[in-house]
Amino acid sequence: MGDTLGRWADPPLLVLASLAGEPKHGYAITQDVAKTMGVRLSAGTLYAVIARLEARGFIEPLESEDRRRPYRITAAGAKELARQSERMSRVASLATERLRANLGWASA
Amino acid sequence: MSHPKATRMALALYPPSWRARYGDEVHALLQESGGLRDVASLAWRALPAWIWPPAHLHDRPARMRASLSTGLLAWSFLTGLGLVFAQLTQFQGLNPPGHQMIKVSYLVFDGALALSIAAAGLGGLPLWLLMLRRAHREHRRRDVAYLLLPLVAPAAFVAGLSVTARLVGGAGGVSAWWFLGLTLVGFAAATIAAAGPGLAMRRLQPRGPALRLAATAGGAAAAAIVVAAAAIIVAVTGLCLWARGFAGYHHATVPGVYLALVVVAAAVTAVSAARGTRAALPEPEG
Repeated sequence: MGDTLGRWADPPLLVLASLAGEPKHGYAITQDVAKTMGVRLSAGTLYAVIARLEARGFIEPLESEDRRRPYRITAAGAKELARQSERMSRVASLATERLRANLGWASA
Repeated sequence: MSHPKATRMALALYPPSWRARYGDEVHALLQESGGLRDVASLAWRALPAWIWPPAHLHDRPARMRASLSTGLLAWSFLTGLGLVFAQLTQFQGLNPPGHQMIKVSYLVFDGALALSIAAAGLGGLPLWLLMLRRAHREHRRRDVAYLLLPLVAPAAFVAGLSVTARLVGGAGGVSAWWFLGLTLVGFAAATIAAAGPGLAMRRLQPRGPALRLAATAGGAAAAAIVVAAAAIIVAVTGLCLWARGFAGYHHATVPGVYLALVVVAAAVTAVSAARGTRAALPEPEG
């Protein structure tokens, strides 16, 4: 069965989560997101997200030796990622709890 | 498989500042892992990049000046289309009985057009005066000439129009070909009048409250002219549907082309004004 809710994955959070590990350039971000989170980010989506995150001060570019400029997460970006992770964690806990109680799921 | 030519074409759809900042990186990414699907996605994302340009990519006064220049040209074109509409419908007394929607559209058009002209004129006046004073003080004759074009070009057109109408017009006005020719000259005059302040802004690079006021008023003028454009669309469609015999709208081709021009001009005016107004508003926190 395909990942029918894959479109719900929020690209800015995926990019922030990827950069929380270490600074990466565009290609490395798409590879990391695809490998660890199972979501394929197209170039158009990725750079729209990078432009937004940079404008909000959540990521910043680093010096590059070639055309592939790496980015790193800023303190504000890390704070935002933590806030959103906490929110998602609460949603996940609630969903698991209700699935167990009402639908008899052993694990979600 | 990379598609360098298609990538270049997709990137050409983006605002210059976006291209200058991210173009090389996107090229590099698509060289490593790009298919046509990625190029299509890149092209599609160009639209939001124009409508909501990232704030860090350019200085706001430059954004406001660019939007005002483009918006003024598109607004003048749309206003010209509106005047052609008024000339061919309301001024001819084309108000078919029993079709209230056409009558209401005329009223909405009149009100919205008047509001738009007032907003553009009043909001742009302080910036125009500021630039004119500076150009005069610094003996910049070319800029003074550019700034006077919005007065000179329409005045010359109206003078030429009245002389021509007297020479070639009969009891029923001028012939269709003369009307077409005069309309085209009118659009040329409107373009020249609108281009003048844009050229002066490019050379004088004004900043400050007068520029912000003009950009904000440009947003209000654009919103009003878009309402007028919507009224035109309703009225012309109504005349084609309900008043074919009454108004002489027997063929859909000419109104179709006219409405397509209205839609394009309204879209350019709205996008341009939205970008300028956004740059004029205070930066949100966070």
